[in-house]
Amino acid sequence: MIRRLPVYLLLMLGVVVAVVPFLITILASLKTTVELVQGVFSLPEEPQWDNYRRAWVDGNFDRFFINSLVVAFGVVVPSLVLSCMSGYAFARYRFRGKSAIFIYLLLGLVVPLQALVIPLFYLMREMGLLDSLWALILPQIAMSMSFGTLLMREAFSGVPGEIVEASVLDGAGSWRVLWEIMFPLARPFVGTLSLMFFIWTWNEFLLPLVVNVDPTFQTLPVGLLFFQQRWTSDIPVTAAGATIIFLPLTVVFLLFQRQMIEGLTQGAIKG
Amino acid sequence: MEDVTRPDVASGVHDVAQPVVQRSFLARAEPYLYLLPAVIVFTAFMAVPVAGTMAISLTDWDGIALSGLEFVGLDNYVDAFTSDEFWRALWHNIVLIPFFVLLPAVLGLLPAVLVHQLKLRGARFFQAGLFLPYIMPGVLIGVVWRWILNPVFGPVNSTLKRLGFESPPSWLGDFTWALPTVGLIGAWAAYGFCYVLFVAGIQKIPNDLYEAARLDGAGFWEELKVVTLPGLRREMAVVFSVNLILALRAFDVIRATTNGGPGDETQVLALYMINSAFNANRVGYGTAIAVVLAVLTLLLSVLVLRLFRDNDD
Repeated sequence: MIRRLPVYLLLMLGVVVAVVPFLITILASLKTTVELVQGVFSLPEEPQWDNYRRAWVDGNFDRFFINSLVVAFGVVVPSLVLSCMSGYAFARYRFRGKSAIFIYLLLGLVVPLQALVIPLFYLMREMGLLDSLWALILPQIAMSMSFGTLLMREAFSGVPGEIVEASVLDGAGSWRVLWEIMFPLARPFVGTLSLMFFIWTWNEFLLPLVVNVDPTFQTLPVGLLFFQQRWTSDIPVTAAGATIIFLPLTVVFLLFQRQMIEGLTQGAIKG
Repeated sequence: MEDVTRPDVASGVHDVAQPVVQRSFLARAEPYLYLLPAVIVFTAFMAVPVAGTMAISLTDWDGIALSGLEFVGLDNYVDAFTSDEFWRALWHNIVLIPFFVLLPAVLGLLPAVLVHQLKLRGARFFQAGLFLPYIMPGVLIGVVWRWILNPVFGPVNSTLKRLGFESPPSWLGDFTWALPTVGLIGAWAAYGFCYVLFVAGIQKIPNDLYEAARLDGAGFWEELKVVTLPGLRREMAVVFSVNLILALRAFDVIRATTNGGPGDETQVLALYMINSAFNANRVGYGTAIAVVLAVLTLLLSVLVLRLFRDNDD
Protein backbone atom coordinates (compact mmCIF):
# COMPACT_ATOMS: atom_id res chain seq x y z
CA MET A 1 0.00 0.00 0.00
CA ILE A 2 2.82 2.36 0.89
CA ARG A 3 4.38 1.83 -2.51
CA ARG A 4 1.04 2.19 -4.23
CA LEU A 5 0.11 5.50 -2.73
CA PRO A 6 2.69 7.58 -4.65
CA VAL A 7 1.54 6.02 -7.91
CA TYR A 8 -2.08 6.82 -7.16
CA LEU A 9 -1.02 10.37 -6.39
CA LEU A 10 0.91 10.52 -9.64
CA LEU A 11 -2.12 9.36 -11.59
CA MET A 12 -4.31 11.79 -9.73
CA LEU A 13 -1.93 14.59 -10.61
CA GLY A 14 -2.08 13.52 -14.24
CA VAL A 15 -5.88 13.67 -14.18
CA VAL A 16 -5.90 17.02 -12.41
CA VAL A 17 -3.50 18.56 -14.93
CA ALA A 18 -5.59 17.20 -17.78
CA VAL A 19 -8.94 18.34 -16.43
CA VAL A 20 -8.28 21.55 -14.48
CA PRO A 21 -7.99 23.83 -17.54
CA PHE A 22 -11.55 22.87 -18.46
CA LEU A 23 -12.85 23.27 -14.92
CA ILE A 24 -11.40 26.73 -14.47
CA THR A 25 -12.81 27.68 -17.86
CA ILE A 26 -16.28 26.75 -16.63
CA LEU A 27 -15.65 28.78 -13.49
CA ALA A 28 -14.41 31.74 -15.52
CA SER A 29 -17.50 31.60 -17.71
CA LEU A 30 -19.68 32.30 -14.69
CA LYS A 31 -17.71 35.25 -13.36
CA THR A 32 -17.57 38.96 -13.98
CA THR A 33 -14.39 40.40 -15.45
CA VAL A 34 -13.52 41.77 -12.03
CA GLU A 35 -14.02 38.46 -10.26
CA LEU A 36 -11.84 36.78 -12.85
CA VAL A 37 -8.65 38.36 -11.60
CA GLN A 38 -9.44 37.74 -7.95
CA GLY A 39 -8.45 34.10 -8.00
CA VAL A 40 -8.59 31.14 -10.33
CA PHE A 41 -10.52 28.79 -8.10
CA SER A 42 -12.66 31.36 -6.37
CA LEU A 43 -16.38 30.92 -6.91
CA PRO A 44 -18.35 33.77 -8.43
CA GLU A 45 -20.53 35.64 -5.99
CA GLU A 46 -23.45 35.15 -8.29
CA PRO A 47 -23.20 32.96 -11.42
CA GLN A 48 -23.19 35.28 -14.44
CA TRP A 49 -25.49 33.29 -16.72
CA ASP A 50 -25.67 36.38 -18.85
CA ASN A 51 -22.22 35.49 -20.25
CA TYR A 52 -23.88 32.50 -21.90
CA ARG A 53 -26.70 34.58 -23.27
CA ARG A 54 -24.17 36.97 -24.76
CA ALA A 55 -22.11 34.18 -26.28
CA TRP A 56 -25.21 32.46 -27.58
CA VAL A 57 -26.99 35.52 -28.99
CA ASP A 58 -24.45 38.31 -29.56
CA GLY A 59 -21.66 35.92 -30.44
CA ASN A 60 -23.88 33.96 -32.86
CA PHE A 61 -23.16 30.70 -31.08
CA ASP A 62 -26.74 29.65 -31.70
CA ARG A 63 -25.99 29.75 -35.42
CA PHE A 64 -22.62 27.97 -35.08
CA PHE A 65 -24.15 25.30 -32.89
CA ILE A 66 -26.95 24.53 -35.33
CA ASN A 67 -24.50 24.50 -38.23
CA SER A 68 -22.24 22.10 -36.34
CA LEU A 69 -25.17 19.79 -35.69
CA VAL A 70 -26.37 19.89 -39.30
CA VAL A 71 -22.89 19.27 -40.66
CA ALA A 72 -22.24 16.47 -38.17
CA PHE A 73 -25.43 14.63 -39.18
CA GLY A 74 -24.92 15.49 -42.83
CA VAL A 75 -21.51 13.87 -42.70
CA VAL A 76 -21.99 10.99 -40.28
CA VAL A 77 -25.16 9.41 -41.70
CA PRO A 78 -24.20 9.35 -45.41
CA SER A 79 -20.64 8.34 -44.51
CA LEU A 80 -21.95 5.39 -42.54
CA VAL A 81 -24.25 4.27 -45.34
CA LEU A 82 -21.53 4.56 -48.00
CA SER A 83 -18.93 2.88 -45.77
CA CYS A 84 -21.29 -0.03 -45.13
CA MET A 85 -21.89 -0.44 -48.84
CA SER A 86 -18.23 -0.31 -49.82
CA GLY A 87 -17.14 -2.43 -46.86
CA TYR A 88 -19.78 -4.98 -47.85
CA ALA A 89 -18.49 -5.09 -51.43
CA PHE A 90 -14.98 -5.86 -50.23
CA ALA A 91 -16.02 -8.35 -47.57
CA ARG A 92 -18.52 -10.40 -49.57
CA TYR A 93 -17.56 -10.28 -53.25
CA ARG A 94 -14.71 -11.31 -55.45
CA PHE A 95 -14.32 -9.11 -58.48
CA ARG A 96 -11.86 -7.78 -60.94
CA GLY A 97 -9.84 -4.82 -59.68
CA LYS A 98 -10.81 -5.50 -56.08
CA SER A 99 -7.43 -4.88 -54.51
CA ALA A 100 -6.66 -1.93 -56.79
CA ILE A 101 -9.87 -0.16 -55.76
CA PHE A 102 -9.25 -1.04 -52.13
CA ILE A 103 -5.76 0.48 -52.20
CA TYR A 104 -7.10 3.51 -54.04
CA LEU A 105 -9.65 4.17 -51.29
CA LEU A 106 -7.12 3.53 -48.53
CA LEU A 107 -4.74 6.14 -49.94
CA GLY A 108 -6.96 8.63 -48.17
CA LEU A 109 -5.48 7.43 -44.87
CA VAL A 110 -2.08 8.88 -45.65
CA VAL A 111 -3.17 12.14 -47.25
CA PRO A 112 -3.49 15.04 -44.81
CA LEU A 113 -6.22 17.61 -45.41
CA GLN A 114 -3.47 20.19 -45.92
CA ALA A 115 -2.59 18.41 -49.16
CA LEU A 116 -5.97 19.12 -50.74
CA VAL A 117 -7.54 22.04 -48.96
CA ILE A 118 -6.31 24.74 -51.34
CA PRO A 119 -7.73 23.16 -54.53
CA LEU A 120 -10.87 22.29 -52.56
CA PHE A 121 -11.45 26.00 -52.13
CA TYR A 122 -11.31 26.56 -55.90
CA LEU A 123 -13.33 23.43 -56.64
CA MET A 124 -16.07 24.70 -54.33
CA ARG A 125 -15.84 28.11 -55.95
CA GLU A 126 -16.33 26.63 -59.42
CA MET A 127 -19.26 24.60 -58.13
CA GLY A 128 -20.76 27.71 -56.53
CA LEU A 129 -20.68 26.05 -53.12
CA LEU A 130 -18.41 28.45 -51.23
CA ASP A 131 -20.09 29.78 -48.13
CA SER A 132 -22.51 26.93 -47.76
CA LEU A 133 -22.77 23.89 -45.55
CA TRP A 134 -22.29 21.70 -48.63
CA ALA A 135 -18.69 22.91 -48.79
CA LEU A 136 -18.19 21.32 -45.37
CA ILE A 137 -20.30 18.20 -45.84
CA LEU A 138 -19.16 16.83 -49.19
CA PRO A 139 -15.38 16.88 -48.59
CA GLN A 140 -15.78 15.41 -45.13
CA ILE A 141 -17.83 12.52 -46.46
CA ALA A 142 -15.00 11.93 -48.92
CA MET A 143 -12.43 12.06 -46.15
CA SER A 144 -14.44 9.50 -44.16
CA MET A 145 -14.45 6.89 -46.91
CA SER A 146 -10.98 5.44 -46.28
CA PHE A 147 -11.32 4.64 -42.61
CA GLY A 148 -15.00 3.76 -42.98
CA THR A 149 -14.39 1.26 -45.75
CA LEU A 150 -11.49 -0.31 -43.89
CA LEU A 151 -13.44 -0.74 -40.66
CA MET A 152 -16.68 -1.97 -42.22
CA ARG A 153 -14.85 -4.46 -44.40
CA GLU A 154 -13.32 -5.85 -41.22
CA ALA A 155 -16.69 -5.84 -39.48
CA PHE A 156 -18.51 -7.65 -42.28
CA SER A 157 -15.69 -10.15 -42.83
CA GLY A 158 -16.29 -11.29 -39.28
CA VAL A 159 -19.89 -12.31 -39.98
CA PRO A 160 -20.03 -16.12 -40.41
CA GLY A 161 -20.76 -17.15 -44.00
CA GLU A 162 -23.46 -19.63 -42.96
CA ILE A 163 -25.69 -16.86 -41.66
CA VAL A 164 -25.53 -15.12 -45.02
CA GLU A 165 -26.04 -18.30 -47.01
CA ALA A 166 -29.07 -19.22 -44.94
CA SER A 167 -30.74 -15.92 -45.66
CA VAL A 168 -29.84 -16.06 -49.35
CA LEU A 169 -31.56 -19.48 -49.48
CA ASP A 170 -34.57 -17.78 -47.92
CA GLY A 171 -34.61 -15.54 -50.96
CA ALA A 172 -33.05 -12.41 -49.50
CA GLY A 173 -31.30 -10.23 -52.06
CA SER A 174 -27.89 -8.80 -51.36
CA TRP A 175 -29.33 -5.40 -50.41
CA ARG A 176 -31.52 -6.98 -47.76
CA VAL A 177 -28.68 -9.21 -46.56
CA LEU A 178 -26.59 -6.08 -46.05
CA TRP A 179 -29.12 -4.05 -44.09
CA GLU A 180 -31.19 -6.72 -42.36
CA ILE A 181 -28.58 -9.35 -41.57
CA MET A 182 -25.08 -7.89 -41.69
CA PHE A 183 -25.74 -4.38 -40.42
CA PRO A 184 -27.36 -5.44 -37.12
CA LEU A 185 -24.58 -7.95 -36.50
CA ALA A 186 -21.93 -5.28 -37.04
CA ARG A 187 -23.57 -2.84 -34.66
CA PRO A 188 -20.58 -2.42 -32.31
CA PHE A 189 -18.40 -1.40 -35.27
CA VAL A 190 -21.10 0.92 -36.56
CA GLY A 191 -21.30 2.55 -33.14
CA THR A 192 -17.57 3.12 -32.92
CA LEU A 193 -17.44 4.39 -36.48
CA SER A 194 -20.25 6.89 -35.94
CA LEU A 195 -18.48 8.25 -32.87
CA MET A 196 -15.24 8.65 -34.84
CA PHE A 197 -16.99 10.39 -37.70
CA PHE A 198 -18.81 12.61 -35.25
CA ILE A 199 -15.68 13.70 -33.37
CA TRP A 200 -13.70 14.32 -36.56
CA THR A 201 -16.50 16.40 -38.03
CA TRP A 202 -17.34 18.29 -34.84
CA ASN A 203 -13.68 19.25 -34.37
CA GLU A 204 -12.80 20.06 -37.99
CA PHE A 205 -11.27 23.49 -38.24
CA LEU A 206 -9.07 23.95 -41.30
CA LEU A 207 -11.72 23.08 -43.87
CA PRO A 208 -14.42 25.50 -42.67
CA LEU A 209 -11.77 28.16 -42.09
CA VAL A 210 -10.74 27.94 -45.74
CA VAL A 211 -14.00 27.37 -47.61
CA ASN A 212 -16.41 29.53 -45.62
CA VAL A 213 -15.81 33.21 -45.07
CA ASP A 214 -19.40 34.10 -44.22
CA PRO A 215 -19.98 33.48 -40.49
CA THR A 216 -23.55 32.42 -41.30
CA PHE A 217 -22.16 29.09 -42.45
CA GLN A 218 -19.52 28.55 -39.82
CA THR A 219 -19.31 25.74 -37.31
CA LEU A 220 -18.30 25.99 -33.66
CA PRO A 221 -14.47 25.79 -33.83
CA VAL A 222 -14.08 28.63 -36.33
CA GLY A 223 -16.89 30.45 -34.57
CA LEU A 224 -14.90 30.32 -31.35
CA LEU A 225 -11.89 31.76 -33.16
CA PHE A 226 -13.90 34.70 -34.57
CA PHE A 227 -15.26 35.19 -31.15
CA GLN A 228 -11.91 35.27 -29.43
CA GLN A 229 -10.67 37.83 -31.94
CA ARG A 230 -13.69 40.05 -31.41
CA TRP A 231 -13.82 39.93 -27.62
CA THR A 232 -10.14 39.60 -26.80
CA SER A 233 -10.53 41.27 -23.45
CA ASP A 234 -13.84 39.75 -22.43
CA ILE A 235 -12.57 36.44 -21.07
CA PRO A 236 -15.78 35.36 -19.29
CA VAL A 237 -17.83 35.49 -22.49
CA THR A 238 -15.09 33.70 -24.45
CA ALA A 239 -14.96 31.10 -21.68
CA ALA A 240 -18.73 30.68 -21.98
CA GLY A 241 -18.30 30.10 -25.71
CA ALA A 242 -15.57 27.54 -25.04
CA THR A 243 -17.79 25.78 -22.51
CA ILE A 244 -20.62 25.58 -25.05
CA ILE A 245 -18.21 23.59 -27.24
CA PHE A 246 -16.56 21.25 -24.77
CA LEU A 247 -19.45 20.45 -22.45
CA PRO A 248 -21.54 18.52 -25.02
CA LEU A 249 -18.37 16.83 -26.23
CA THR A 250 -17.49 15.78 -22.69
CA VAL A 251 -20.99 14.40 -22.13
CA VAL A 252 -20.81 12.35 -25.34
CA PHE A 253 -17.36 11.16 -24.31
CA LEU A 254 -18.44 10.09 -20.83
CA LEU A 255 -21.49 8.28 -22.20
CA PHE A 256 -19.55 6.33 -24.82
CA GLN A 257 -16.18 6.31 -23.15
CA ARG A 258 -15.24 2.73 -23.88
CA GLN A 259 -16.11 2.73 -27.58
CA MET A 260 -14.57 6.12 -28.01
CA ILE A 261 -11.22 5.27 -26.48
CA GLU A 262 -11.19 2.01 -28.39
CA GLY A 263 -12.08 3.74 -31.63
CA LEU A 264 -9.66 6.59 -31.23
CA THR A 265 -6.77 4.35 -30.37
CA GLN A 266 -7.61 2.13 -33.36
CA GLY A 267 -8.53 5.08 -35.53
CA ALA A 268 -5.22 6.64 -34.58
CA ILE A 269 -3.88 4.99 -37.70
CA LYS A 270 -6.08 7.35 -39.69
CA GLY A 271 -3.02 9.51 -40.29
CA MET B 1 -31.34 14.25 -46.29
CA GLU B 2 -32.09 12.74 -49.68
CA ASP B 3 -28.69 11.17 -50.16
CA VAL B 4 -28.89 9.45 -46.82
CA THR B 5 -29.85 6.09 -48.18
CA ARG B 6 -29.22 6.31 -51.91
CA PRO B 7 -31.06 3.03 -52.41
CA ASP B 8 -31.74 3.58 -56.14
CA VAL B 9 -28.69 1.76 -57.44
CA ALA B 10 -28.70 -1.35 -55.37
CA SER B 11 -32.38 -1.86 -54.70
CA GLY B 12 -32.76 -1.90 -58.45
CA VAL B 13 -30.40 -4.82 -58.48
CA HIS B 14 -32.50 -6.69 -56.02
CA ASP B 15 -35.78 -6.13 -57.85
CA VAL B 16 -34.63 -7.06 -61.33
CA ALA B 17 -32.67 -10.04 -60.14
CA GLN B 18 -35.21 -12.57 -61.37
CA PRO B 19 -34.48 -13.46 -65.04
CA VAL B 20 -31.50 -15.79 -65.28
CA VAL B 21 -29.55 -14.06 -68.04
CA GLN B 22 -29.80 -10.59 -66.55
CA ARG B 23 -29.04 -11.91 -63.16
CA SER B 24 -25.58 -13.14 -64.04
CA PHE B 25 -24.71 -9.76 -65.52
CA LEU B 26 -26.15 -7.90 -62.58
CA ALA B 27 -24.55 -10.28 -60.15
CA ARG B 28 -21.23 -9.41 -61.68
CA ALA B 29 -22.01 -5.71 -61.56
CA GLU B 30 -23.23 -5.85 -57.97
CA PRO B 31 -19.97 -5.21 -56.11
CA TYR B 32 -19.22 -2.28 -58.39
CA LEU B 33 -22.64 -0.79 -57.74
CA TYR B 34 -22.01 -1.03 -54.01
CA LEU B 35 -18.69 0.72 -54.43
CA LEU B 36 -19.87 3.37 -56.84
CA PRO B 37 -21.11 6.06 -54.44
CA ALA B 38 -18.04 5.81 -52.19
CA VAL B 39 -15.67 5.90 -55.15
CA ILE B 40 -17.45 8.84 -56.77
CA VAL B 41 -17.42 10.98 -53.62
CA PHE B 42 -13.86 10.01 -52.79
CA THR B 43 -12.67 10.80 -56.29
CA ALA B 44 -14.49 14.10 -56.63
CA PHE B 45 -13.58 15.59 -53.26
CA MET B 46 -10.35 13.87 -52.39
CA ALA B 47 -8.45 12.41 -55.34
CA VAL B 48 -9.20 15.25 -57.74
CA PRO B 49 -8.16 17.98 -55.27
CA VAL B 50 -4.96 16.08 -54.42
CA ALA B 51 -4.16 15.87 -58.12
CA GLY B 52 -5.05 19.55 -58.28
CA THR B 53 -2.53 20.34 -55.57
CA MET B 54 0.21 18.63 -57.53
CA ALA B 55 -0.80 20.29 -60.78
CA ILE B 56 -1.19 23.79 -59.38
CA SER B 57 2.17 23.49 -57.61
CA LEU B 58 3.78 23.55 -61.07
CA THR B 59 2.15 26.85 -61.95
CA ASP B 60 2.25 30.49 -61.06
CA TRP B 61 -1.29 31.41 -60.14
CA ASP B 62 -2.96 34.21 -58.23
CA GLY B 63 -6.13 32.18 -57.75
CA ILE B 64 -8.38 34.66 -59.50
CA ALA B 65 -9.30 33.07 -62.84
CA LEU B 66 -8.43 29.62 -64.11
CA SER B 67 -7.20 31.23 -67.34
CA GLY B 68 -4.43 32.92 -65.37
CA LEU B 69 -2.67 29.60 -64.70
CA GLU B 70 0.87 29.72 -66.01
CA PHE B 71 3.11 26.66 -66.10
CA VAL B 72 6.45 27.31 -64.42
CA GLY B 73 7.79 23.82 -63.83
CA LEU B 74 9.52 23.35 -60.50
CA ASP B 75 10.03 27.06 -59.86
CA ASN B 76 7.80 27.07 -56.79
CA TYR B 77 9.82 24.28 -55.22
CA VAL B 78 13.06 26.08 -56.02
CA ASP B 79 11.60 29.23 -54.48
CA ALA B 80 10.63 27.35 -51.35
CA PHE B 81 13.95 25.59 -50.90
CA THR B 82 15.84 28.84 -51.31
CA SER B 83 13.59 30.85 -49.01
CA ASP B 84 14.54 31.53 -45.42
CA GLU B 85 10.90 31.70 -44.44
CA PHE B 86 10.30 28.14 -45.61
CA TRP B 87 13.24 26.72 -43.70
CA ARG B 88 12.30 28.63 -40.58
CA ALA B 89 8.76 27.25 -40.74
CA LEU B 90 10.08 23.72 -41.26
CA TRP B 91 12.52 24.18 -38.38
CA HIS B 92 9.66 25.18 -36.11
CA ASN B 93 7.86 21.96 -36.98
CA ILE B 94 11.02 20.04 -36.16
CA VAL B 95 11.35 21.80 -32.80
CA LEU B 96 7.79 20.71 -31.99
CA ILE B 97 8.60 17.02 -32.54
CA PRO B 98 10.22 16.27 -29.16
CA PHE B 99 7.36 18.09 -27.43
CA PHE B 100 4.59 16.39 -29.38
CA VAL B 101 6.20 12.94 -29.61
CA LEU B 102 8.78 12.13 -26.95
CA LEU B 103 7.49 14.07 -23.97
CA PRO B 104 3.94 12.66 -23.95
CA ALA B 105 5.29 9.15 -24.63
CA VAL B 106 7.52 9.34 -21.55
CA LEU B 107 4.80 10.98 -19.45
CA GLY B 108 2.36 8.26 -20.47
CA LEU B 109 4.74 5.33 -20.21
CA LEU B 110 5.97 5.90 -16.67
CA PRO B 111 2.59 5.71 -14.87
CA ALA B 112 1.47 2.90 -17.18
CA VAL B 113 4.46 0.81 -16.14
CA LEU B 114 4.01 1.58 -12.45
CA VAL B 115 0.31 0.77 -12.55
CA HIS B 116 1.07 -2.59 -14.10
CA GLN B 117 3.93 -3.41 -11.75
CA LEU B 118 2.04 -2.64 -8.60
CA LYS B 119 -1.13 -4.22 -10.00
CA LEU B 120 -3.13 -1.14 -9.15
CA ARG B 121 -6.88 -1.43 -9.25
CA GLY B 122 -9.03 1.24 -10.76
CA ALA B 123 -6.51 2.27 -13.39
CA ARG B 124 -9.42 2.46 -15.78
CA PHE B 125 -11.06 5.02 -13.59
CA PHE B 126 -8.28 7.46 -14.40
CA GLN B 127 -8.52 6.88 -18.13
CA ALA B 128 -11.49 9.11 -18.81
CA GLY B 129 -9.94 12.16 -17.19
CA LEU B 130 -6.56 11.59 -18.77
CA PHE B 131 -8.01 11.02 -22.21
CA LEU B 132 -10.30 14.05 -22.20
CA PRO B 133 -7.96 16.66 -23.76
CA TYR B 134 -7.28 14.33 -26.69
CA ILE B 135 -10.87 14.51 -27.98
CA MET B 136 -11.11 18.31 -27.81
CA PRO B 137 -10.82 20.51 -30.90
CA GLY B 138 -7.42 22.19 -31.26
CA VAL B 139 -8.97 25.64 -31.43
CA LEU B 140 -10.68 25.13 -28.11
CA ILE B 141 -7.42 23.95 -26.55
CA GLY B 142 -5.74 27.02 -28.00
CA VAL B 143 -8.36 29.44 -26.74
CA VAL B 144 -8.36 27.92 -23.24
CA TRP B 145 -4.57 27.96 -22.90
CA ARG B 146 -4.30 31.42 -24.34
CA TRP B 147 -6.40 32.66 -21.50
CA ILE B 148 -4.62 30.56 -18.86
CA LEU B 149 -1.26 31.84 -20.06
CA ASN B 150 -2.35 35.44 -20.50
CA PRO B 151 0.55 37.48 -19.09
CA VAL B 152 -1.64 40.05 -17.35
CA PHE B 153 -4.60 38.24 -15.83
CA GLY B 154 -4.02 34.57 -16.69
CA PRO B 155 -3.98 32.09 -13.80
CA VAL B 156 -0.44 30.86 -14.47
CA ASN B 157 1.31 34.18 -14.23
CA SER B 158 -0.81 35.51 -11.38
CA THR B 159 0.09 32.36 -9.45
CA LEU B 160 3.76 32.77 -10.31
CA LYS B 161 3.68 36.38 -9.19
CA ARG B 162 2.05 35.41 -5.93
CA LEU B 163 4.81 32.85 -5.42
CA GLY B 164 7.36 35.61 -5.72
CA PHE B 165 8.45 35.49 -9.36
CA GLU B 166 8.64 39.18 -10.17
CA SER B 167 8.43 39.04 -13.95
CA PRO B 168 7.40 35.70 -15.40
CA PRO B 169 7.66 35.39 -19.19
CA SER B 170 4.66 36.28 -21.31
CA TRP B 171 4.74 32.70 -22.70
CA LEU B 172 2.87 32.75 -26.01
CA GLY B 173 3.86 36.37 -26.63
CA ASP B 174 7.53 35.85 -25.83
CA PHE B 175 10.06 35.42 -28.64
CA THR B 176 11.97 32.71 -26.78
CA TRP B 177 9.12 30.95 -25.02
CA ALA B 178 6.34 30.97 -27.62
CA LEU B 179 7.39 27.85 -29.53
CA PRO B 180 8.21 25.68 -26.49
CA THR B 181 4.94 26.80 -24.93
CA VAL B 182 3.01 25.65 -27.99
CA GLY B 183 4.97 22.41 -27.74
CA LEU B 184 4.00 21.96 -24.10
CA ILE B 185 0.35 22.52 -24.94
CA GLY B 186 0.68 19.74 -27.52
CA ALA B 187 2.30 17.45 -24.95
CA TRP B 188 -0.47 18.23 -22.49
CA ALA B 189 -3.11 17.22 -25.02
CA ALA B 190 -1.41 13.91 -25.86
CA TYR B 191 0.00 12.30 -22.73
CA GLY B 192 -3.30 10.79 -21.63
CA PHE B 193 -3.72 9.21 -25.05
CA CYS B 194 -0.26 7.63 -24.71
CA TYR B 195 -1.04 6.39 -21.20
CA VAL B 196 -4.26 4.72 -22.29
CA LEU B 197 -2.59 2.99 -25.23
CA PHE B 198 0.33 1.81 -23.10
CA VAL B 199 -1.87 0.51 -20.28
CA ALA B 200 -3.84 -1.55 -22.78
CA GLY B 201 -0.65 -2.74 -24.43
CA ILE B 202 1.08 -3.85 -21.24
CA GLN B 203 -1.91 -5.97 -20.30
CA LYS B 204 -1.39 -7.96 -23.48
CA ILE B 205 2.20 -8.86 -22.61
CA PRO B 206 2.21 -12.49 -21.38
CA ASN B 207 2.81 -12.70 -17.66
CA ASP B 208 5.36 -15.53 -17.98
CA LEU B 209 7.73 -13.09 -19.64
CA TYR B 210 7.70 -11.00 -16.49
CA GLU B 211 8.03 -14.06 -14.28
CA ALA B 212 10.96 -15.33 -16.31
CA ALA B 213 12.65 -11.95 -16.09
CA ARG B 214 12.13 -11.89 -12.34
CA LEU B 215 13.55 -15.42 -11.97
CA ASP B 216 16.60 -14.14 -13.84
CA GLY B 217 16.84 -11.46 -11.18
CA ALA B 218 15.92 -8.54 -13.42
CA GLY B 219 15.42 -5.24 -11.66
CA PHE B 220 12.94 -2.52 -12.54
CA TRP B 221 14.94 -0.99 -15.39
CA GLU B 222 16.04 -4.32 -16.76
CA GLU B 223 12.47 -5.55 -16.84
CA LEU B 224 11.41 -2.35 -18.58
CA LYS B 225 14.13 -2.73 -21.18
CA VAL B 226 13.85 -6.46 -21.81
CA VAL B 227 10.13 -7.14 -21.43
CA THR B 228 7.95 -4.04 -21.37
CA LEU B 229 9.43 -1.88 -24.11
CA PRO B 230 9.75 -4.71 -26.67
CA GLY B 231 6.22 -5.81 -25.76
CA LEU B 232 4.91 -2.33 -26.44
CA ARG B 233 6.48 -2.06 -29.87
CA ARG B 234 3.15 -1.88 -31.67
CA GLU B 235 1.75 0.78 -29.33
CA MET B 236 4.98 2.75 -29.61
CA ALA B 237 4.73 2.69 -33.37
CA VAL B 238 1.18 4.07 -33.20
CA VAL B 239 1.99 6.74 -30.61
CA PHE B 240 5.12 7.89 -32.38
CA SER B 241 3.70 8.01 -35.87
CA VAL B 242 0.41 9.64 -34.85
CA ASN B 243 2.06 12.33 -32.77
CA LEU B 244 4.78 12.88 -35.33
CA ILE B 245 2.12 13.56 -37.91
CA LEU B 246 0.43 15.96 -35.48
CA ALA B 247 3.71 17.84 -35.06
CA LEU B 248 4.25 18.11 -38.81
CA ARG B 249 0.72 19.27 -39.54
CA ALA B 250 0.33 21.46 -36.47
CA PHE B 251 -2.16 24.17 -37.31
CA ASP B 252 -5.30 24.48 -35.17
CA VAL B 253 -3.68 25.17 -31.80
CA ILE B 254 -1.18 27.58 -33.29
CA ARG B 255 -3.80 29.44 -35.30
CA ALA B 256 -5.80 29.95 -32.11
CA THR B 257 -2.89 30.88 -29.83
CA THR B 258 -0.15 32.77 -31.63
CA ASN B 259 -1.17 32.73 -35.29
CA GLY B 260 2.52 32.29 -36.06
CA GLY B 261 3.78 35.10 -33.86
CA PRO B 262 5.46 36.84 -32.23
CA GLY B 263 7.28 37.78 -35.41
CA ASP B 264 7.31 34.43 -37.16
CA GLU B 265 8.56 32.49 -34.15
CA THR B 266 5.74 29.94 -34.29
CA GLN B 267 5.06 29.99 -38.01
CA VAL B 268 4.84 26.35 -39.08
CA LEU B 269 4.51 24.83 -42.55
CA ALA B 270 0.72 24.49 -42.53
CA LEU B 271 0.27 28.11 -41.50
CA TYR B 272 2.87 29.29 -44.01
CA MET B 273 1.07 27.32 -46.72
CA ILE B 274 -2.34 28.86 -45.98
CA ASN B 275 -0.90 32.37 -45.68
CA SER B 276 1.01 32.02 -48.95
CA ALA B 277 -2.02 30.78 -50.86
CA PHE B 278 -4.77 32.97 -49.47
CA ASN B 279 -3.12 36.07 -48.00
CA ALA B 280 -0.21 36.53 -50.39
CA ASN B 281 -2.24 35.14 -53.34
CA ARG B 282 0.61 32.87 -54.34
CA VAL B 283 -1.53 29.80 -54.85
CA GLY B 284 1.07 27.87 -56.84
CA TYR B 285 3.65 28.42 -54.13
CA GLY B 286 1.19 27.46 -51.39
CA THR B 287 0.36 24.17 -53.09
CA ALA B 288 4.06 23.41 -53.52
CA ILE B 289 4.41 23.69 -49.75
CA ALA B 290 1.37 21.43 -49.38
CA VAL B 291 3.12 18.81 -51.50
CA VAL B 292 6.31 19.09 -49.46
CA LEU B 293 4.29 18.76 -46.26
CA ALA B 294 2.44 15.70 -47.50
CA VAL B 295 5.60 13.98 -48.75
CA LEU B 296 7.42 14.75 -45.51
CA THR B 297 4.55 13.34 -43.45
CA LEU B 298 4.47 10.20 -45.52
CA LEU B 299 8.23 9.63 -45.44
CA LEU B 300 8.57 10.17 -41.70
CA SER B 301 5.63 7.98 -40.79
CA VAL B 302 6.93 5.18 -43.00
CA LEU B 303 10.30 5.63 -41.32
CA VAL B 304 8.79 5.35 -37.84
CA LEU B 305 6.79 2.26 -38.75
CA ARG B 306 9.93 0.70 -40.26
CA LEU B 307 11.96 1.48 -37.21
CA PHE B 308 9.60 -0.38 -34.97
CA ARG B 309 8.98 -3.25 -37.33
CA ASP B 310 12.64 -4.01 -38.00
CA ASN B 311 13.22 -5.02 -34.41
CA ASP B 312 10.56 -7.65 -34.88
CA ASP B 313 12.61 -9.95 -37.07
